[in-house]
Amino acid sequence: MTALLDRTPLGVMVRIARIDWTAMSDDEGRRLREFGLMEGCEVTPLHRGSIFSRDPLALTVGRMKVIIRARQAAAIEVEPA
Amino acid sequence: MTAAIPSIALVGNPNAGKSSLFNALTGARQKIANYPGVTVERKAGHASFADGRPLSLIDLPGTYSLTPASLDEAVTRDVILGRQAGEARPDALIVVLDAANLDNHLCFALELLALNVPTVIALNMVDLATRDGLTLDAERLSRDLGVPVVPTVAVRRRGLAELLAAVDGAIRTHQPRDAVAGPLNDSSLHQRARAIARAAIVSETPVRRWTQRVDNVVLHPLFGMIILLALMFVMFQAVYAWAAPPADALEGLVGTMQAWIVDHIPQNFLRDLVVEGLLAGVGAVVVFLPQILILFLFILLLEASGYMARAAFLMDGLMGKVGLSGRGFIPLLSSFACAVPGIMATRAIPDEKDRLTTILIAPLMTCSARLPVYALIIAAFIPNRGVGGTGIGLQGLVLFGLYIAGIVGALIVAFALRRTVAKGTGAGFMMEMPRYQMPRLRDIALGLWQRAWIFLRRAGTIIALTTIVLWLLLTFPKAPDGQSQVEYSVAGRIASGLEVAVAPIGFNHDIALALIPAMAAREVAVSAMATANAIDAGDDEEAMAATLGERLQGKWSLATALAFLAWFVFAPQCISTIAITRRETNGWKWPLFMVGYLFALAYVAAGITYWTAVAFGLG
Repeated sequence: MTALLDRTPLGVMVRIARIDWTAMSDDEGRRLREFGLMEGCEVTPLHRGSIFSRDPLALTVGRMKVIIRARQAAAIEVEPA
Repeated sequence: MTAAIPSIALVGNPNAGKSSLFNALTGARQKIANYPGVTVERKAGHASFADGRPLSLIDLPGTYSLTPASLDEAVTRDVILGRQAGEARPDALIVVLDAANLDNHLCFALELLALNVPTVIALNMVDLATRDGLTLDAERLSRDLGVPVVPTVAVRRRGLAELLAAVDGAIRTHQPRDAVAGPLNDSSLHQRARAIARAAIVSETPVRRWTQRVDNVVLHPLFGMIILLALMFVMFQAVYAWAAPPADALEGLVGTMQAWIVDHIPQNFLRDLVVEGLLAGVGAVVVFLPQILILFLFILLLEASGYMARAAFLMDGLMGKVGLSGRGFIPLLSSFACAVPGIMATRAIPDEKDRLTTILIAPLMTCSARLPVYALIIAAFIPNRGVGGTGIGLQGLVLFGLYIAGIVGALIVAFALRRTVAKGTGAGFMMEMPRYQMPRLRDIALGLWQRAWIFLRRAGTIIALTTIVLWLLLTFPKAPDGQSQVEYSVAGRIASGLEVAVAPIGFNHDIALALIPAMAAREVAVSAMATANAIDAGDDEEAMAATLGERLQGKWSLATALAFLAWFVFAPQCISTIAITRRETNGWKWPLFMVGYLFALAYVAAGITYWTAVAFGLG
């Protein structure tokens, strides 16, 4: 039972099942990994967008809080943690 | 060891507290902020070991790995690998780790350790880790990594002596050997980092984090935006309300000095130069120091507290619609203070077209140099009263409107540029959100002092020089009796020529006269008018006592005043901005493009404002 990170409910911890690295540039993929976002790690989406748009997405990974765009989140498949 | 001074580089992830540590070690005068990407320039300083031997320190831009994603990150890699032109390879590295974010920051540390350069780890911000319920074993970490690990709290100067002693030891005992071949694989690196971090954590008490509750409000889709708008609104109201008493005092001081000189020194060329040129011109600009400091106070506080990255988060949705990213918000907000550091801060934007667009619209953010112009005209022409019985002042509201006009103009221009000259794929936005921190009084005070100094130095050099040149051009040739000196002078004649071009948009002789010297810097427009008016007033004490604003009130229509404000929302009148754009875009193409489009916009905006105002009977 997987879902895409750009659609998962806020405040609920999920585990990253798969990342479609082809959906983003090499630089973006590397930055995601540098943030610690990779298969098997647990993240909690916390805040999504503003009145202007559904973008961006803020999530915690480990003790860090990072911001990514919905386009990248849509390439991340997650499962319940 | 050679006799040469060892050079040591500070390196680490963004938000690890490198800049604070650098400041604590060197005492260097430098800005500390809380968002990734603040350290874009090379920053070097000196310190000494306990026995007095000197060492030189370089503060490198924060990055996540040796594979750069932006210009400033490339600098870090090149310096560390000894590839940066004009920069010797550092003799040792101080790798700065955020104690509370160990597993992530250790990845980069492991990559750096593989280079086999003398290295010491600074386990920084251990106090904040403790706040978050984390206890770490530095010795265990040191054993696992094979290098010294020193716990530090940069802002409280804790662990600094130990850190330098460890660096000294690392350089002395270093055994050269080949660096580990090839870059490490991402996921194995992460696994190792996580294992080492886990081993170093003695205890981890879950602390109910108040910061998350704050973020739930501050980053709320609707309330967060309202808070951001409210903060900016308060900031611009404060610029008016708080600055009035000190500004009045400064103005009084300049007037007293002029009157004293006029009373005590017989009239001669030099006295007129000082009273009408220097004091009138420079004085008219210096009175805006309080307002500029208040604006910077807010910006520094927002940066230091960690709020700025939140603002970037909130703004990203809007900026994404015009092809920019929230990354651009930080350079653009800095541009409210001055476009020059703003344009330099765009180096942290990874996407090239995104960066170019941000550079080109940065001058549309209302910089502090425009404040003197706006403040003068608003004080003279907009009544000082509340709006509809609320506590909101009309003057502050107009100022707020001018800032908004610049922002809306910038968004429209960005939208157009991203579909024409700066076409490209959608820019990304990936950024770390720093933890909230209490701004340190000392850092804020230092930042404000630097701003005040830069502003006063400008007033003392560029502005003083242009005012003196202008005064000379206004004073000669001497007008025959019965004719206006200002009209008759060289400057007056040049202005009369320019007036033909700007008369259709409602600009008068005063403005035409001010526009040319204002090319040097926008605020010179104010000193130019002040100098011209001082010459007009001559020795007439009553006329001299009248403020510049009062004198303009009598001479300009409201439509002209409004058109003048509209002009300055867009006009690219700042040589420094043009020069920095040339440097940052490597050529004349983009600065010329920028100047061209901004002048065209300024002319049209002033024209539309003037014609509309006249149509409403304000001419």
